[in-house]
Order: sequence, then C-alpha cells, then structure tokens
Amino acid sequence: MDIEADLVVIGGGMAGLVAGTIAAEAGLNVVVIRKGQSATAYSSGAVDVIGYLPLASDPFSSPEEGLFALSRLYPLHPYSVIGYDESIQPEKILDVIVERTRDTVSWLKAHLEGTLAPVKGKFDSNIHPITILGTTKPTCLIQKTMDSGDLNERDDSVLLFVGISGYADFNSSAAAQTYLEDRVVSGSSPQKVAHCVLQVMPFGKPYNISSIELARHLDHAGSIEPIAEQLKKHIEQVGATHIAFPPIMGIRNAMKNKLKLEEMTGTTVFELLGFPPSIPGQRLQKSLETIFVKAGGKLLLGHEAISYTRDGALLKSITAKSPRREIKIDAKAFLLATGKYIGGGISGNKNGLRETLFDIMPVTGDYHSALDIVPSRSTSTLSISPVGQPIQSCGLSVDPRFRPVTEEGLEWAENLFAAGAILAGYNYAVEKSGLGVAATSGFNAAKNAIELIKEVA
Amino acid sequence: MTTSEFDVVVIGGGSTGTAVARDCAMRGYRTLLLERDDIASATVGTCAGMISSGLKYRDEPDIMEMCSKEVVHWNRIARHLIMKNPILAPLLDLSDAASDSSYMDSYSEHVGEREVPPMMFLTPDASLEIEPMLHPDVIASVYYEEYFIDPFRLCLLQAIDARNHGAQIRTYCEVINFEVNNNDEIEEVVFYNRISGATESVKTQVVVNATGPWAQKVAKSVGDELPIRLNKGAHVIFDRRIVNVGITVKAIDGRWIYLFPHENTTLLGTTALDTWEDPDTLVASFDEIEYLLQSMETVLPSIREARIIRTMTGVRPLVPEWKVPEGKVTRGYQIVDHSETGGKKGLISFLGGKLVMCRHMAEAVTDIVGKKLGKEVPCTTHETPLPGNEDDVDIIALSKEYDISLHALERMRARRGTEMVKVLAHTKEHPEWKTTICTCEPVIEAEIRVAIRDEFPQTLNDIRRRIRLGTGPCQGTFCTYKAAGILAEELSLSGDDFLVDILDFRAERWKGIRQSMRGEQLAQEELAQGMYACVGNLDQSDVDYDLKPWEEGI
Repeated sequence: MDIEADLVVIGGGMAGLVAGTIAAEAGLNVVVIRKGQSATAYSSGAVDVIGYLPLASDPFSSPEEGLFALSRLYPLHPYSVIGYDESIQPEKILDVIVERTRDTVSWLKAHLEGTLAPVKGKFDSNIHPITILGTTKPTCLIQKTMDSGDLNERDDSVLLFVGISGYADFNSSAAAQTYLEDRVVSGSSPQKVAHCVLQVMPFGKPYNISSIELARHLDHAGSIEPIAEQLKKHIEQVGATHIAFPPIMGIRNAMKNKLKLEEMTGTTVFELLGFPPSIPGQRLQKSLETIFVKAGGKLLLGHEAISYTRDGALLKSITAKSPRREIKIDAKAFLLATGKYIGGGISGNKNGLRETLFDIMPVTGDYHSALDIVPSRSTSTLSISPVGQPIQSCGLSVDPRFRPVTEEGLEWAENLFAAGAILAGYNYAVEKSGLGVAATSGFNAAKNAIELIKEVA
Repeated sequence: MTTSEFDVVVIGGGSTGTAVARDCAMRGYRTLLLERDDIASATVGTCAGMISSGLKYRDEPDIMEMCSKEVVHWNRIARHLIMKNPILAPLLDLSDAASDSSYMDSYSEHVGEREVPPMMFLTPDASLEIEPMLHPDVIASVYYEEYFIDPFRLCLLQAIDARNHGAQIRTYCEVINFEVNNNDEIEEVVFYNRISGATESVKTQVVVNATGPWAQKVAKSVGDELPIRLNKGAHVIFDRRIVNVGITVKAIDGRWIYLFPHENTTLLGTTALDTWEDPDTLVASFDEIEYLLQSMETVLPSIREARIIRTMTGVRPLVPEWKVPEGKVTRGYQIVDHSETGGKKGLISFLGGKLVMCRHMAEAVTDIVGKKLGKEVPCTTHETPLPGNEDDVDIIALSKEYDISLHALERMRARRGTEMVKVLAHTKEHPEWKTTICTCEPVIEAEIRVAIRDEFPQTLNDIRRRIRLGTGPCQGTFCTYKAAGILAEELSLSGDDFLVDILDFRAERWKGIRQSMRGEQLAQEELAQGMYACVGNLDQSDVDYDLKPWEEGI
C-alpha cells in the first residue's frame, strides 16, 4: 500500500505532534507515524522550558532569563538554533530566540486548553511544583490539576500529603518530611505539613495498586465521594488548607475530580509531579494526539519506519512497517522526531552510537562524531549530579533550518528535518528543558519544512 | 568511650568473618563482630557463589577433598540457599579434550558424597539439546555439576545465627586502632562507629582478622607485617538466565572462564589481575569486559546480543606466592598466628581461602581461639542448620493461602526457607504489604519491612544485599524511591536522609552499570536520569552526600 503526503513526521511524541499540527494547520497533508509509546507519555506531564544552565546550581527565575543566558553561552544548543535565520540581524538573535520560544509556549498553552491536559504557567516566571519525593523543580507549564493555588502565598497554609494504601509509587510520609524540611530551611510557607493514607481499591484488592488503575477508577462516577469522606477526617485533624495527591486524579476527568474534591472538602487539591508510568504524561500525550488529528493530520500508530528511498539531494519516501502491513509513504518533506535512547532514534553498542533510520552521523554534546565513542567513557562517575551523563547530550547536529547534517557539515537531505530529543547539544535531565526543546524545535523545524514544501510547490 | 569485654573480636563481616563469629558464639565464647561497612558488602558480595567441588584445584588433592566435604556440610546446613548448576565445557577441537584428562578422575572420586553424577563426555547433539545456543561446530562437551549458594544470604544468616547464639554483630564499625600492653599482647580494639560518629573500644583476649584483602592493612595498624597477594576479578552480569546451564571455556590466555545462571541473572566471569589499588576504588575495565565476552563468544556466539545490566568487581586475598600466575597460587588458606611470627599476641589473620571453605576456616581458627582462651569446645557448625533450613516449604500451598504469586514466593523461599512464613504472617494484618516493590526480583513490601526490623540494615544497599532489591534488569530504576520511602518510615529518617539513601543507592548501582553502558542500558539510564534528575531534581539537591571511593578524583 502506498500513500502520499506533504510532510511525514517520524515519531509521535511532543516534538513530532507539535510539528505535525503546525504543518496540518498550515494546510498541508501530514502523516505522523509512531512506533510505540513516546517518551512524552513517560514524562511528568509538566512542560519544562529551561530550569538551569548546565553545571549551575541556581534555577532560572524564568524561561526568558534562562534562554538569554543559555543562547549566549551555548550557540549550538537547540534553543539557539531557532535564532539562526539569514534574515535576522546578529544583535536581534537573542530576542528572536526568546520570542520564538515564547510563541511556542503560547501556542501550546492555547492548544491544550479544552483538552485532557490544560496547562497553566507563564513564560515570564518559572514555577516550582512539588514532586512525589517532596522535592521541587523549576518548570514553565504545569497541568491545571497540578496547580497548588495560594499554597506558598498564604501564611497559614497547611499542606496534607495523601498516600494510598497498597500504592507503592508514592510515600506520603517521606514526601511530607522532605518537603517540610525544605520549607523550614527556606523559611517559606507552608510551615505546617502533614500526611495521611487513604483506602482506595479499584479492583477490591488492597495491594499492588497501580497509577493507571487508580486513574481509571477515578474516571468513574461515584469514585470521588468516598475519597472526600475519608479525607475530611484527616483535614479536620490537621486543619489542612491544601491537599497534595499523587498524579492519579483521572485520565478523562482529572480536572473535574480536582474541582469536585475542592468543593467537597473546602481545600485546594493538586497533583504532585511523578515518575513513569505517568498519568499526566499520558494525558498530555493523548491531548497532543487529539490536537493533531483535529488539525487534520493523520496518525499511524504502531508503525515503525524501517527504510527509505532518496533521489539525489531529496528524500523521496519512507517505508513504515506494522505487524500486518508495510506502507510506502511518498512525501515532499520529512521530519525525524524519533527521540533519543528511550524513543529509539539513537542506539549504541560498545563501539559507538548510530542514528537508527537513516544512519546519519550522531555527534556528542561537543559536536564530535559519536560514531565510535565508547559509551561508558562519555559518562560521569557520579550517577546523579549537575554534570549529568554526557552520553545524554549525544544526538544529531542540525543546520539553522533544523536539517540534520553529515560529517562534511552539509544537510543529509534537503527535505529532512529533525526535532526533539534526537537533537544533540543539550541534556534535558539536568537543564530541565525536555518538553520545551521538543515543542520549540518541533514548532520551528515544522515552519522550515512548510516553507520548503511551499517553495517547491 | 564505652568499654565492654569479649573473649574474641572478629574483624570483617564477609563469609569468613561471619563464619568465625558463628562458630565462636556457638562454642560459647563471648564474641563481637566488627564490620566497617555491611555484612557481605565487599569480596564475597562480588563472587559467583560457587561452593566448588575444587575441580580447578586438582593439583592440590587435599583441598579438593576438603571442598567436597564442605559441600556436603553446606547441603546439610544451608540447602535452602543452594542451587545446583549443570555445567558444560564445550570443545571445539580435540586438543582441548586431549590436553589433560586427569581432572575427570579427580572430580569423579568425590561425586558420591556430593550426590552428583560422574563427569561425562556428551555428543554434539546431546550438548546442543541441553544448550541450543552453543556454537554449532562443537565436537563434544564435558558435563559436570557444581553447587552454588547465595553468598549474601549465607553471610547474613551466619551473622544472624551468631547473634542468636549470643554474639554481638556491629556493622558500620571500622577498627582504627589496637591497645597493646608491654608484653605485646592486644588488650583492646578501638573502632569508629560510622553511624553515630563515636569512637568506641572493647577489651578482648583474641582478635581474628578476617578482612580479606584488607588483612594487611589491619595488621599494619598494630605494627605487624602481613604479606598478601591481591588479585582483581570482574564479572559481567546479564539481565536474566540467558543459558540453561553453566558454560565454561578457556579464555584467550588459557584461563578458564565461566557463564553461570545465578538467581534471576547470569554471571560471566572472571578476570584475574594482580592489583595494588585500594580495593574500594576498583571497577571493571573495558578490557576486562571484552576479555570475558570475546572468550565466551567462541562457544556461545549469541552472547553479544544478550543484555548486560552491570559489572561487579572484587579482590581475591591470595596467599603471597610469587612468580606463578594467579591460577597456580594455592586456593588453600593460611592462618597466621601473629604471636608465632614475631607479631602481636592475640592477633590471628587469614590469608587465601575460598567461599566453599569459609566454615572450615572458621572451625580451624576457632580451635586456636579455644586453646588461647583455655576453653576448648567441639565444633558443631557443620551439623547445626542455619536459620530457615529446618524443613521443606510448600510454596504452592502458601501461594494459595496468601494470594501471592508462586514466583515471588519461590524467590523468597530461596532467601529464607521456613523463615519466610514470618514475613507472610505480617500480610494478615497488613494486606497492603503484599505490594511488589522491586518488580524485577520480585520483592514484596512485607519482606522489606521484616528485613529492616530484623536484619539490621542501615541503607538501601544493605537491603539489596539482604533481599536482592534492585538487582534485576532495571537496576533499581523503579524500586529505589519506593524502598527508600519504606526505609524512611521504618527508621524515622529525616527528609535529607531519605534523599541521601536514594542518591547512595543510585551511586552504587551506577558503579556497576557505567562500565558496561551499551545497548538497552542507554535507554535504561535515560529513564533513570529522567526520573531522578529531571523530575526529582536530585542532581540539584543540597543534601549531605558523601563521595564514594570510586567517585573521587574526577
């Protein structure tokens, strides 16, 4: 079976779906193919733009401040790349980077409104939501279910961490203790923190309860009331004004559940940032898919790109394989958003790294060839530190239009673009920049692809 | 400083030290065991757990006989911790077979008492039927059987049994000094309590130095010389049981290396490199990993496709023989009574030895201790079962009664034998403790809580050694924070300590993962970084994290 498209996007996480939506909204015929679950679905569901400068210990107060600092120091960072446009005067580059990122964030925020994952947050200030460990992290956008309201503004706020018996992903007492110590040290509100454990049994068994079971359970009518009843007793005991839940408030009805619980208990209820399997990550993923399909895009799930044809400087087609069929898709332009190691865009063995579909040369964070690096030598002896693991900065090097480049520094194909975690030159885990880079590079790579397609037409 | 009095202080909580403490306590001597880290946290924790027939040491028939006898004892006192692996030595050309056949006779001499069949040659078809992944050109293979024991559990149960017999077991207590009187007799042992930060001392008549590769260092702290030959050995660990049976093959340098299914994983080892480094800093090198993989590849070509999850590295405390390769150094042990070599009176040190003979070593040294104390009592350690080995366990019935998977229960049985019922009993009152915390192994919450309450762990790493938490394919990616929460609850830890426990556990896992980063471990590590650094923001945490010896000097 053969199909034709204007743009084929390979990879359906944040980068691929933002790119696909932008192109579909521009009137193009877009196909996004996705092999399996995206890394976006494993994310906390909050959208980081930039939290830290590499190796720095103070978080940026806003993405804006972060981008100015970052793009000055790291001119090849994916964020910096969006400022390289022949039409832009050198002194305007930084402003353009900030403006284009701001545009992406605004676009994303507006598009997520009315989906399963509406977000809140401003480009002018990072927020510091609480995680399931009781720590906080800087991020730009949180899902509205994660909004803790006036928790940190009120002097008299009392935060209650709610655990669920038999649900091991969240320990309310350890999180409460950790968060309280952090507040005491920083002298900020709340100064009173408590924890409790509720009984919620989606399948009538009191153990091995998973996030997805809880979220699906809470999507059903009548599931919130018994929780509110149990909560009231604990709220009264400690005088809680705010309630922190693990991120399990529902897939379809999370926001409704938050509001209902707030109404029934007279408190502010919010979700913490959590680890995979992540319900907010899945809500975000589903929402991005909905937005893309609504814009007229075609989404092929369970299809893995396995080969391609090219004609001179142009990529002509890719072949996608699913368990039952192979499809050849001809297109005018292609966008590679297959992610890094989790996504499968980059793989590696003891002899070096490979880009898995086109065999384009990957580079290290310092833009040397990563074809023959020994992965263990591109690591730090420290497991978790601001240095991060340099191997996580490997990926593809791109030209100013987000086209992957070869060893000679030329674009691999005139009509192949790349976005998201497959890009080299940034370590999202330490920068706290993952979904922000994905969205922004997807947004801008798509603009370039659209331009190319329209030029050809 | 508090001072109390003991008959014997044992230094070192490895296989030998815990065996000595158990023996001394069972003979009624007032016993204290001091371990600077945790039980089985060093040498023995990096071995394959083979309680060997002594096949490799057939040039030393006495040792082979001792090994066989000890296997019989282990099967009597600790059979719940024991697994038997059939082993194939595949031959690709005749010269492999013809070089030496005396080993067949030496091995077969002891098969009766070890309850295994005699060594035999298998045809290529029979070999491939047992292990289809073997090289198709195999011309024959040698078949034999060896027993394996869970080295962590063995040490822990010896320590617990010593405690049950009145010994004191003190982990995280590092010996820093000895008080010696004018007659060159040791009177007191001074040690630093790493948990409380206090320096303590105890009076004692005898000190047994069972510190393996650190024996020389301990002797030096009292001014005695103790030559030793340190030899580094590394393993590569795969994510599951990738072979049906053990495979052994000659490496590029003619040494035998092996691939053993071990618990839920497979071990490929070992290397042998003389070392003068601080054992705490050692990690496997790229060369060691390739040496092992390339050698095993000759008979098992698909080994390259298997998923490596980590490496582990230990140091053999060999008897100081010079001018011979590691493989020719005696695997027997020596007991050095320092009073007889011009050193301090009351100090006895071990050199050499193997896991299989740790009980024998303990018996021999405890006989000497008894003489010194003037209180000779016969040894019973070979007759008295270790805790949990009292009876068979009906896993199927327990699975029905408690509604827990057979797999989880069988893994628990392999650690606890009859004692597992104590863990399960907790789930009557706390059904939520049936929750699986480590899904790779698997480990349920009740066992973590029981281990914390009864088995004196201080850190997540100590829990790992007790119940194999975080030792599977994900290397603790998904259980580190869950188990840390339980530890924090049980020990009433501060928030800082909760985070430090997470960081310490990640650090120790990373120590072994890092060297073998390739293939799927790249994605696994991206996930771990995404969780603990990106979401948890722990890379920016300002808790008091102590750099580990292998992390320093970057």
